Amino acid sequence: MSEKNILEMQKISISFPGVKALDKVNFSLREGEIHSLLGENGAGKSTLIKCLTGVNQKDEGKILLDGNEIQPSGPHEAMELGISTVFQEVNLCPNLSVAENIFVGRQPMKRGGIDWKEINSRAYELMSRFHLDIDVTRPLSYYSTAIQQMTSIARAVDVKAKILILDEPTSSLDENEVQLLFDVMRDLKAQGMGIIFITHFLDQIYAVSDRMTILRNGHLVGTFDINELTKFELVTKMVGKDMDVIFNLQRAKVFKDADYMLKAEHIGDISHINDISINLKKGELIGFAGLLGSGRTETAEMLFGATRAVKGDIFIDGQKTQIRNPFDAINADIAFCPEDRKRDGIIGDLSIRENIMLAVQSRKGFMKPMTKAEQTELADKYIKLLKIATPDCEKKAGELSGGNQQKVILARWMADNPKVLILDEPTRGIDIGAKAEIQRLMLEMCTEGVSVIFISSELDEIIRCSNRIVIMRDREKVAEIDGENCTQQDILKIIAEGAA
Amino acid sequence: MAKKNFVLSGLMQSKVTWAVIAELLILMVCFMIRPDFFSISYQPSTGMLYGSLIDIINRSAEITIISMGMTLVIALGGTDLSVGALVAVAGAIALKFLRWDVLTYTTPGDYTVCPYILVLTIPLIVCALMGLFNGFLVAKGGIQPIIATLILMVCGRGVAQILTDGKQFTTGYSPFRIIGQGSFLYLPMPIIITIVVVIAVALFTRKTAFGAFVESVGVNPSASRLSGIKADKIILIVFLITGLLSGIAGLIYSSRIMSNDSNNAGLNFEMDAILAVVIGGTNMSGGKFSLAGTVVGSLIIRTIVTFVYYFGIVAEATMAFKALIIAVVIILQSEPVRKYFAKRSRVREAVLISGGER
Repeated sequence: MSEKNILEMQKISISFPGVKALDKVNFSLREGEIHSLLGENGAGKSTLIKCLTGVNQKDEGKILLDGNEIQPSGPHEAMELGISTVFQEVNLCPNLSVAENIFVGRQPMKRGGIDWKEINSRAYELMSRFHLDIDVTRPLSYYSTAIQQMTSIARAVDVKAKILILDEPTSSLDENEVQLLFDVMRDLKAQGMGIIFITHFLDQIYAVSDRMTILRNGHLVGTFDINELTKFELVTKMVGKDMDVIFNLQRAKVFKDADYMLKAEHIGDISHINDISINLKKGELIGFAGLLGSGRTETAEMLFGATRAVKGDIFIDGQKTQIRNPFDAINADIAFCPEDRKRDGIIGDLSIRENIMLAVQSRKGFMKPMTKAEQTELADKYIKLLKIATPDCEKKAGELSGGNQQKVILARWMADNPKVLILDEPTRGIDIGAKAEIQRLMLEMCTEGVSVIFISSELDEIIRCSNRIVIMRDREKVAEIDGENCTQQDILKIIAEGAA
Repeated sequence: MAKKNFVLSGLMQSKVTWAVIAELLILMVCFMIRPDFFSISYQPSTGMLYGSLIDIINRSAEITIISMGMTLVIALGGTDLSVGALVAVAGAIALKFLRWDVLTYTTPGDYTVCPYILVLTIPLIVCALMGLFNGFLVAKGGIQPIIATLILMVCGRGVAQILTDGKQFTTGYSPFRIIGQGSFLYLPMPIIITIVVVIAVALFTRKTAFGAFVESVGVNPSASRLSGIKADKIILIVFLITGLLSGIAGLIYSSRIMSNDSNNAGLNFEMDAILAVVIGGTNMSGGKFSLAGTVVGSLIIRTIVTFVYYFGIVAEATMAFKALIIAVVIILQSEPVRKYFAKRSRVREAVLISGGER
């Protein structure tokens, strides 16, 4: 690894309506270096990458490639400049052959036709450089995700890239495939390529990178050599402490002899979660802590039937219950506020009234409708109770602010009187005031006997609210600790190092 | 005053308003060219009211009925291309049951071979099942609606041909004639059937939560699923309804000509129905729908056709003329134009309000 910088991004700022996504962030990449880019969701990693590849335009700052200022207007131009990106989702054509995928758009020609011999032999050569001895004329879909991933890297590398960006390339790979990918990355590094590596798996960062840059809430936390930080320090820097406001909240009181409201025993789904057990008492609040991708959301989705559990048993209120889809879950009195509010929660074009009545109505079925008066009464009740800021209940839900949308979704489920409420990142992306409000509501529901599962990336809010904390790491439950006598340090330690 | 203007601004932004305005404009032009355009007279011989307006509503019956179903399909974010073919299927089955074996019953006359109840119900059942087949491909197979319904659009007419051995049957059975040519309460029967269908669909979607569920799935399928809505069931029902309504339209159509016509019955009906829905203000990307708007849309399409017939525009130019007017209507409804007018009326409001305060 030389000390020469091939890429320098200086004081990059980007604003989106209402948010400063990046605030004067510096980033540099050396020749022959694997540089990890870290940060929680919304920290600004992808915005930085999109700025580099020209998808988003920067408001201020400079990008220097080999000392020359560049301003790529889109991914294509970035690629021509030598910046190639491999995205998390493989974006190739599964029905074309491996060789065709590598050369599509720039096929070598011979006598007015495509030179297939050249394509196939060069593709084979490229793949064997990655120690892959495969038939490159077979369709891409014939091969595993790992090989598909390699194909997109091969494509990126063959366009004579100076910089390769790998955006979460490992999330769909198994252990061996990850090792294969790492070998390829080290090879490319030896050839002098600069690699930007984005991942949520901490072990992988330490296995392969030379340096790392940490972002938090659009700010640069710092760039460090890999030996400079322990995993523990790294996690602390990533999560940070941005909650200065101290809320006067009372943890839910759970009676020792309370019955179990929800018991999940050894449940697992097809792809993500292998085996997890969760117990939840009546009126209890358990927090799910762990980094993004640690399996928090997948577990919650399984409990709600959004993804189907293929093994294990779920007991609700002592009764063994089949949960095959969300409808079953709703009938079993489970409610779920999903992580991605826009995609999975709010129905933007419908009014607040319709959004709130949805869960109640879908449990009844459409043949037993609530009258508009009943719906309005229900909606008005929750608009008042949750202090949703709106002139009336006929406003489109999509026009509300993030915090108010979250309250509408919460109202949808509160109206359904659930016994178990699962909240996945209910406080993300909303302002401090609304955050406090939602936490207060959550705890109030606990005192009324509702059991709550609370997923959050912000540890202090987990610690503040939870009776018990389940800690997840690499898609497994690694520890379950008492919520009242623990500190952020304890949790960070377990997240970073696994259970002691 | 200010309040009234707010209402005006809301109306200006609504697509339905523009559809109504367009319809009125076309009618005004008709009235200017032919002052007797709006006259309605009673004809004792048929027991029916007679006039251009009645004729427009009567002739729009098939499209209006089909587009009730199409509105729901489009609200789900899909399209149903098979409706025209189902019209042909319904006609073929009805005529098959009326005549059965043409070799034995060689001349058409005032008779039916199979019981009349079968003549009416079997076509409707078959069309409903074909709709269900569309729905099954979409809901369970995850096939895009436009592709899934393309199957029946292409093979539906083939099925109709096979059922009637490629022949065109005619009939003189008088109870069958009533559907398309009879009258009730001085109005042509198709108008009565249309009114019943429109009211039935409106009640089913708006008096139950079905309409809200359709809109919800159309806007955000993922969030709807996580709210417990069984999207599959909704999709199946919507396509079934559309199939059934196409069957009803098919019976009306074949009763008008007292014959089946596997090649031309319902030809391009899918396009007219989609147009009616879009002109009526329902967005092709799914979501909020307006049945009233669709009715107006269907009337606009028919008014244009009538206009062309009445004013001696050469037959060859009919399609081009129709396209021209529809283009104007759709541009009038487009987002920028509506915003422009809404903004203008808001500016006027602002002036009025500030003027009032002073």
